[in-house]
Amino acid sequence: MTRPAWLLSRWTIVPGTTLLLVAGWALYAETHNDGIIAGIVVDGRGRAVPGATVLLLERGFVTHEERGRTRTDAEGRFRFASNNSHSVQLEAEAEGLGRSERRIVRLWFRAQNTELAEPLRFKEARP
Amino acid sequence: MRRRFPWLRHAVLVLVSLLMLIPFYWVLKTSVANENIYAYPPRLLPAEPHLFNFVDVWYLIPFPRYMLNSIIVSALAVAGNVVFNAMAGYALTKHFPGRRWIMALYLSCMLIPFQATIIPAYLVTGRLGLLNSYLGLALPLLSTIVCIFIYKAAFEAVPKSLIDAARIDGVGEWRIVWRILMPLSKPAIASNVILSFIWSWNAFLWPLLIVRDTQMQTLPLGLARFLSYLEDTTGALYAFAVMVLVPSIVVFLMAQKEFIRGLTSGATKG
Repeated sequence: MTRPAWLLSRWTIVPGTTLLLVAGWALYAETHNDGIIAGIVVDGRGRAVPGATVLLLERGFVTHEERGRTRTDAEGRFRFASNNSHSVQLEAEAEGLGRSERRIVRLWFRAQNTELAEPLRFKEARP
Repeated sequence: MRRRFPWLRHAVLVLVSLLMLIPFYWVLKTSVANENIYAYPPRLLPAEPHLFNFVDVWYLIPFPRYMLNSIIVSALAVAGNVVFNAMAGYALTKHFPGRRWIMALYLSCMLIPFQATIIPAYLVTGRLGLLNSYLGLALPLLSTIVCIFIYKAAFEAVPKSLIDAARIDGVGEWRIVWRILMPLSKPAIASNVILSFIWSWNAFLWPLLIVRDTQMQTLPLGLARFLSYLEDTTGALYAFAVMVLVPSIVVFLMAQKEFIRGLTSGATKG
């Protein structure tokens, strides 16, 4: 059986492959866009910080604006489920420890589910 | 005669090609880094390259909408050029009274820049009720004189006996163009597709004049809008430029063989 010539034409292969890639990417994005950002907060010695407040700041045209805040659990874990941006910053606050470094989190698509590879870290250590 | 030092010729050609590609490389390099382009000494390789500038472009402005608008306008322009220019090109292969005058008129029109005729074009488009519409955006690019001459050269290269034979078989003029001349003129079609696509894709002044709704803007207008939003984000701006450039480069690469053949057909006799 011979394949039709148009099927092997670059005018079919290139747009077809592009469409497939775009569709695949769109499908992946659609199934991983619950807006979840999770991570862990640690002090200067690397110990988990329970009860710390974590701020979610969303990138605007000029500045970053607060879009949500949550508290860490007993193991120092936090979780946002309402992120709707592709570029956010995270910052933790805790009594006696001050503020952590501000972490820039850039995502491949809006509301991408992500888990921080590195914990949010305070400079100070808990007593 | 045997050529001496063929490697030297190739080395020079490669060097010149690389020099030509430097500006493109610089755009690409800046688009994947957040560097200050005025930094001295300039870096040849990007420091900490990443692709997030492209994500910023996608979300900070309605990029998908601009892209869709550009694709629709370019598709209209390409279709118009392929069809209307073929008809005009075929007409110019015929001998009729005033043909030379029409040819001279076409050639003289090529000397007039579009900026000089943009006000009449705007008024005509307005009278037709096509302002702020896709058809209005594509209207001045639906037929271009250069592309008409490309078709004319391609049609004249087809043996006259072939057309005469078709005519004897009772084939009409319309079918002669579409069934005989067009399949034999693929390089001319490719040239028309590439040129009309690139011209319509990059058009800035005409869309700037006739588009009134931000949702109807094309990519070049979006680029200007983006520049006004993010003056200090060079990386994102260059990422936008890359995203605007890529489709026309892909179309060119797909059709380059036929394009070059189309431009050089008629350059030699025999």
